[in-house]
Amino acid sequence: MFWHVLRTEVFKFRQSGMLPILLVSPFIGLMIGVMTNLSGMATGGNSWLLLVQFMLLPYAVLFLPLMTGVLAGVICRYEHQAGGWKQLLSLPITRGSVFAAKYALLMAAVLIMQLLFLGAVFLVGQLKGITDPFPMIIFWKSIFGGWIATLPLAALQLTLSIMWKSFAAPFAVNVIFTLPAILAVNSQDFGPFYPWGQPFLMMYTGSASDSVFYVPWEQVLTVVGGSLVIFLAAGWFYFQRKAV
Amino acid sequence: MIGRLLKSDFLKIKRKGVWLLTLIGPLGVVCLQMVNYSLRKDYLLQQSDNDWHFYLLNVHAFTPLALVLGIVILTSLIASVENETNAWKQLIALPVSKMAVYLSKFTVLIVLLLTSSVLLLIFTLGYGLYLNLGDSVPYTSLIKFSLYPFAASLPVLALHLWIALVSRHQGIPVTAGVIGVILTYMGYSLPDWLIWKWPALMNDWANPDIVVQLGIGVGLLVYLTGMLHFVRKDVV
Repeated sequence: MFWHVLRTEVFKFRQSGMLPILLVSPFIGLMIGVMTNLSGMATGGNSWLLLVQFMLLPYAVLFLPLMTGVLAGVICRYEHQAGGWKQLLSLPITRGSVFAAKYALLMAAVLIMQLLFLGAVFLVGQLKGITDPFPMIIFWKSIFGGWIATLPLAALQLTLSIMWKSFAAPFAVNVIFTLPAILAVNSQDFGPFYPWGQPFLMMYTGSASDSVFYVPWEQVLTVVGGSLVIFLAAGWFYFQRKAV
Repeated sequence: MIGRLLKSDFLKIKRKGVWLLTLIGPLGVVCLQMVNYSLRKDYLLQQSDNDWHFYLLNVHAFTPLALVLGIVILTSLIASVENETNAWKQLIALPVSKMAVYLSKFTVLIVLLLTSSVLLLIFTLGYGLYLNLGDSVPYTSLIKFSLYPFAASLPVLALHLWIALVSRHQGIPVTAGVIGVILTYMGYSLPDWLIWKWPALMNDWANPDIVVQLGIGVGLLVYLTGMLHFVRKDVV
């Protein structure tokens, strides 16, 4: 049943005409990358890493969390129009599978956004003529880690988008939590515990580490995993009881 | 006519959290500095001889971002009021001109953002006095740092009002807003002619007064262009 619901969700997403907003991610990546001036700061390290460190701050702190919220709104918009929830939920499918399918689609969309960003990084590097070897393993850690860190935020945004008809209301909540992340990621004490700062911290290639991710496992499990469980459970139970 | 339209527009945004957002915006900007200063006040006071000026610069670091985000959210909310209930047709069918409808929405946004800017002034002054940054309070700079960004962001406001009012899908203006926010955030490395750089009040001419004049002039131009398109556009 889940797969059938997922297929209709993918179909609705494709038909929404909003698919091009996934391309905003590489567009932003290109824009930031082209404006970055690498020549002034040749440190002798791998130029790819230097490039990514400059591109990451606007992308991972602001763009990724905000755009995840926009995508969540797009995924729920169809149902908010003209009694769509009523029609969808009167079908012989469980509410759980609807929520799971929407969340799965959102996760996939965020992953596509991450991969397109990786493509943009590669393209910027080519444009700037970086000759250093492309540190593939590091980038996979960064792209995949950023995706994992965005999953709790995606769960919260999906819940808010289901709750409110207006597009701007969930976005406003998203903004209120995302802006402090600019300060939080600079803080040693507070940063590791702030869910909205995690995408940046898990994508930041600065700290070389032998672990799977760039942050310690305890942080991934407690902060990212903990907030994921809380937001996902809240959304799930809210949707089970939502009046349509 | 415009007076009654304004009245109805203010009525429509009641209980939608719009006024709450105009309060949260400036409060949030000053609160970030409350956290900043309460965590490392001694370090921050060592950074400059003019503590008031340094404090204002710190507050101003977040003002452009909050302002542009506020513009995105408020324009989209104002458009949603009509979109969600398919009320455009009914509104336009009333014996009011489409120009007046557009002007009324724009005026509501101006009032909201101006309120935010004045609140920012009050909160900034209040926390500054609490921090005890010195006896001579720089009232002129305080007014400039609070109200100039608003004037400089008028082109962004006019642009977003237009995108939000002509888009059926509110995902489009919000996505455009996210791009604008990134541009604002990266302002320091952008060319001076980009309107998203203006709220930060920095340019190579180093004179904020010019940015304000440009903001009002270009804002008016963008507003008129958007309004003319809205007037000629079919309502569905």
